[in-house]
Amino acid sequence: MDDINEIKKNLGTKEVNTWCPGCPNFLILESVKTALAGLISKGVYRQEDFAMTTDIGCSSKIYDYLNISGIYGLHGRSLATGLGVTLGNPNLKVLSFMGDGGCFDEGIAHFMHAGRYNADMTLIVHDNQSFSLTTGQPTATSQEGYISKASPLGDADFPLNPIKVALAAGIGFIARCNARDFKHTAEILEKAIQHKGFSYVEIIQDCLIFNKNVNNKDDRMYKIENNSDKKKAEKIAGEYDYNNGHGKGKIALGVIYSEDKPALYEKWEQLKALKEKGVGWKG
Amino acid sequence: MRINILIGGKAGQGINKVSEIVSRVLTSLGYFTFNYRDYPSLIRGGHNFNVLSVSDDKIGSVESKLDIVVAMDEKTKELHKMEMKKDGVVIGFEEFKELGRNLNIAQSGALIKILGIDKQVLIDEIKSQFKESDEAVAAAEKGFESQEGKFEFKKLDRDVEIMHGSRAVAIGAVNSNLDLYIAYPMTPATGVMHELAGRMGKGHMVFQPETEIAVVNSAMGASFAGAKTMIGSSGGGYDLMTEGLSMQGMAEIPLVVYLASRPGPGTGVPTYSLQNDLDVALRGGHGEFPRVVIAPGDPIECIEKTNEALYLSEKFGCVTILLSDKHLAESEFSSDRKANKVLKVDVKREVAGEGIVKRSSYEHDKDWNTTESAEITKKFADERIKRYGRIKKECEKFQMTKLFGNPNAKNLVIGWGSTKTVILDALDAIDGSIKNGKGDYKFLQVLYMKPLSSKIKEEIEKVSNAGGKVILVEQNLTGQLGRLIREKTGLKIENRILKYDSRPFYCDELKEEILGV
Ligand SMILES: Cc1ncc(C[n+]2csc(CCOP(=O)(O)OP(=O)(O)O)c2C)c(N)n1
Ligand code: SF4
Repeated sequence: MDDINEIKKNLGTKEVNTWCPGCPNFLILESVKTALAGLISKGVYRQEDFAMTTDIGCSSKIYDYLNISGIYGLHGRSLATGLGVTLGNPNLKVLSFMGDGGCFDEGIAHFMHAGRYNADMTLIVHDNQSFSLTTGQPTATSQEGYISKASPLGDADFPLNPIKVALAAGIGFIARCNARDFKHTAEILEKAIQHKGFSYVEIIQDCLIFNKNVNNKDDRMYKIENNSDKKKAEKIAGEYDYNNGHGKGKIALGVIYSEDKPALYEKWEQLKALKEKGVGWKG
Repeated sequence: MRINILIGGKAGQGINKVSEIVSRVLTSLGYFTFNYRDYPSLIRGGHNFNVLSVSDDKIGSVESKLDIVVAMDEKTKELHKMEMKKDGVVIGFEEFKELGRNLNIAQSGALIKILGIDKQVLIDEIKSQFKESDEAVAAAEKGFESQEGKFEFKKLDRDVEIMHGSRAVAIGAVNSNLDLYIAYPMTPATGVMHELAGRMGKGHMVFQPETEIAVVNSAMGASFAGAKTMIGSSGGGYDLMTEGLSMQGMAEIPLVVYLASRPGPGTGVPTYSLQNDLDVALRGGHGEFPRVVIAPGDPIECIEKTNEALYLSEKFGCVTILLSDKHLAESEFSSDRKANKVLKVDVKREVAGEGIVKRSSYEHDKDWNTTESAEITKKFADERIKRYGRIKKECEKFQMTKLFGNPNAKNLVIGWGSTKTVILDALDAIDGSIKNGKGDYKFLQVLYMKPLSSKIKEEIEKVSNAGGKVILVEQNLTGQLGRLIREKTGLKIENRILKYDSRPFYCDELKEEILGV
C-alpha cells in the first residue's frame, strides 16, 4: 500500500482555500482526509469508491478541497442528493457534508427520513450554531438569546438538540466529535463510514467570526465508549442542550448510539443485485 | 357510426369497470373507443361519470349528445337527462337491486345487448376479467336479457389497442431501459408512478421519497451515479422542484421530468384538466440554461416522446420536460398505430466509481471546482448557449410538429398536447378535412415546445398570405402556445379558441367554435 501521507496528498486539490484563517473547518478537512486515507491504505476502498454531496455554506466548501467524486448541490439538499447517489450506485461510499443551517433548518425533512431509508452513507454536520456564510443569522441549533444582525433582540427560540432528533428519527449510528480534536474525529469518521446503513456524525465546529459566544466548550467535553444502549444514549443526549448560556451540561464525544438494521440496498432486490455485482445501474 | 354512452354513479360503485368491459369488447371487434373520466377529488360518494364514445372510424374525443345513459344512481338520471338524444336509452339500476355490488356487471351486459353484440363475446370477457366467477357471469346474463338490441356492432377486421397516457409514458420509459422513477404522489401525474411500480419486475425501481424537493435532488444524485432517471409531478409539486431544475442547468446531470398539468393556480381543480403549465415548463427555475420541452398529443406519441426525452437528456446532459395533462394521462384512447422504433438510450459518460467525477451547482472551472472568475463565467454561459444549439439540431431529427389534412388547405388550426385528437375529430366532423384530405382545414400539431420548429412560422405565413384563417386552439386562459409563437416568430394569431373551465372540448362544441371563426 502507498504511504498514508502520499494518499492524503492525493486526496487534496490545488484550489485556493477561502475559509477564514484558523477556521476549524481546516481540521475537519484534515480528519476526513485521514479517515479516507486510512481506509484506502488498508485496501477497504479505492479513492474512486467515495462520492461526496455537499450543501451550500462555509462547511460545504470542502467540495473544492477534496479530490473525490461528488456533487456540490443545493442549500439544505445534500442529504437528498446523497440518497440519490446510493440509489444510482449502492457500491459508492457516500459522504454528505452540511452545516447546521442546511441540515436542521432548510433540509430537516430529509434528516427526519434518513434513518428510515437507512441508505449506506455518512452525514457530516459542521455544527457552528449559525448560518455563517450568510454572515451569522441564527439557525435551529443557535442558543436562545443569540444576538446577530438578523436577531438584534436575541434569538427568541430554544435550540433543537440534533442528537435527540437523530435518536427519535431512528438513525442507526449517531456520533458527536469536536473539530479541534481531529485525531478522534478521524477515528469516529472511519467507524461511521464502515457502519452499514446511515450514519450521522455531528462535529462541533467553532466559527471564529459569528456566534462566538458558543465557542470554546472543550473543557466540558468528555469521551465515551461506543454505546449501543438506547436508554443510555438518550441520557447522554440530554446532558447538553446546545443552549450554551443557560445549560452547563457535559458534552459527550464518541459513538453515542449504534445499531445494526437493514440498509436500503438490503431492502430492495434491485439494489441488492447491483451491490452483489459491485456495480451501479450503468453496469 | 358513432355513439356516445355516459356511465354515471357514486365514487366506489365501479363505473370504470363498465367502461372497461364495454371498450374491451368493442376494441376486440375492431371499433375505436374513447373514454373520458370525470370525477371530483373524493374517494367515496359524490358524482362520477365516464363518457365512452364508440365509432367504426378513428376517434379521440367525446360528443355532448348522448345515445345511452347508464345510471347507477338517481342523480345520474337527473343530471344527464338534458344531454340525451330524443331516442336515447337509459339503463337504470332499480331492476338490478338484488345484485348488490354486481350492478355494474349487469349494466355492462345490458349495454352489450343494446349494441347488438353476441352474448358469447360478453361471457368470454366477463370470465377473463372475473376469474370464471359464476356470480359475475349470472349478473352479466341477467343484464343482457333485460334489454332489446338497438345497434349493430359487427366484427371488423382491425387491430385496435386501448391505452391511457400514463400507461404509455410508463411503456416509453421501460422501452428506454429506465432504471429509476422517483416521484411523490400528485394527481394526475401519479398514474405513471403506479404503472411503473406495477412493472417493477422488469428491473427498474420506483422510489417515493419525502418531498418533491427530495425527488429532484435525489434524482440528480442517481443520474450522476449513472442511472437513467425520470421524475414526475404536477402543478405545486413541479413548482417545488424548480430550484433543482435550475441546478441541473449548471450541473448538466441528465434529467427527465414528467409534468402532468392540472388546473391552477394553487391547488386548483385537481382532478380536472387544463393546459395551463406550458409557461412554467418552459421557464421554471432561475437562470438561463438549455432545456427541452416536449408535449405528446396521444398515448402512442407518449411512448415515442418519453423515449426521445430520455435519449436527449442523456446525450446532452440537459433537462427534458415531458408535458401532459389529466385529459391525456387518464382518458382511454384507442389506436391502430404502432409506436416508432425505440432509440437506444446509452449512458456513455464516465460516472463516479469509474473515476473521479465532479458536478456542481456553482459556476465552475473545467475540473468542476468553484470559480467566480468573470472570464470563466462568460465562457461557460456561452458554452450553455452553444450546447442548446447542438440540442436544437438533434431535435430536428424527430417529429417536432405534425401536419394533418391537405397541406394546401385554405385554413390552418394550430394546437398541442391533449387537444390534438379532439381537433382532428372536429375538423373531420366539419368536412372530413383530415380523413379525405380534401376539406378546407389542415391541422398543425406542435410536439416540441422548446426548441420550436421553424415549420410553424412557414405554415402560418403560407396560410395568412393566401388569405386563409389561422386558428389557435388551447385549453387555457391566455393562449400560452400562441404567446410562445409570437415571442419566437413575431406573428400574432388573432383567432383564438380558448377553453378554460377545466373540462375538455366536446367534439361538436369545438366544431361549432371553429365554424364560428
Ligand atoms: C434555498 C437557499 N436559501 C438560502 C440560501 C443562502 N444561503 C447560503 S449559505 C446559507 C447558510 C449556511 O449556513 P449553514 O448551513 O449553517 O452552513 P455554514 O455556513 O454555517 O457552514 C444560506 C442561508 C441558499 N443558497 N439557498
Ligand atoms: S465564517 Fe466562520 S465557519 Fe465560515 S470560514 Fe469563517 S470561521 Fe469558518
